[in-house]
Amino acid sequence: MFAFDGGYDPGQVSHTILLEFRRTIERHPAVQHASGEPPGQFIRVVATLDPAILGSEAYEGTLTIRWFAGETADANPEFAFHYSDSSGFDCGWHHEPNPHVDGWAHYQERPTADDEYVYEPISFNSLQPVPLLWEILDRLEIRLSDH
Amino acid sequence: MTDAPGAERWKEHQSAFDRVRAVAVTVSEPKSADWIAEQAHVAGNTARDHLQRLVEMNVLRTVSGGTATQYEPDPLYTRMQALRDLLDNRDRDDLLGLRGDLQEQIEEWQSEYDADSPSELREQAAHSDTAEKTREMRRTANDWDIIAYRLQLVEDAIEHYSDYAGSAPAPA
Repeated sequence: MFAFDGGYDPGQVSHTILLEFRRTIERHPAVQHASGEPPGQFIRVVATLDPAILGSEAYEGTLTIRWFAGETADANPEFAFHYSDSSGFDCGWHHEPNPHVDGWAHYQERPTADDEYVYEPISFNSLQPVPLLWEILDRLEIRLSDH
Repeated sequence: MTDAPGAERWKEHQSAFDRVRAVAVTVSEPKSADWIAEQAHVAGNTARDHLQRLVEMNVLRTVSGGTATQYEPDPLYTRMQALRDLLDNRDRDDLLGLRGDLQEQIEEWQSEYDADSPSELREQAAHSDTAEKTREMRRTANDWDIIAYRLQLVEDAIEHYSDYAGSAPAPA
């Protein structure tokens, strides 16, 4: 039943990663607060950001992280890091089956919620959760500072 | 590897020990010290020292077999951390309420998709009509796996509430 014997439980691994995200993301200077949401379920991490530190003029921003470690221990993770802010802009780095690009990894953005998303295929330097989190925060900063 | 995107910021704000810990507790399979060192942007010997400490602290355990020592999260530590998160700011009544909510959510998915488990739902997702629908079903299956694990934790926390919470009065 449990993964105590060393068996792989995707729910356990994914949840452990979400707990670690909540802890580590608060180290980033742009992050004011992070929590597991919805509070009882904890299926994603939501971080409140100060967009000014990332070079944006919006006064409030949010980064929402979903992560699933994969059905088997050697499967690729499925994840989404999605940013939105008070200007209406939103963008995300996703790794999951999708109808928009070949392969799983893509970036999507739209200027406001009324616009269509523009998608582009991308690749990540690492698919390990914590190094990738810092990579995404770096990409977000680059994107916002020339937005 | 120091050129990896985000690595500079990460190194600036998290110590080598914390980076090694963060990488090592989030792996799906046992990994060698060299592999962890590369991911955490530390030297191999530094990683080995920190990993040794983490093993002594029961955060990690070593796995025998193969040529190099491999490390994986200690399942007891992993469970304790997750229980600690659940028990923070929740008393026994809150846990009972949460158990009901999680059970209800799972039952909802079971009847909505006519599936008994997340893997059955993924099976269905592979044969759905549109890519959009496939993605939605897979996301639900992933959430379901996490919630099923959460439910196990909540049941554990309820069953052993007095042991885990100690004699201190329950927090408001």
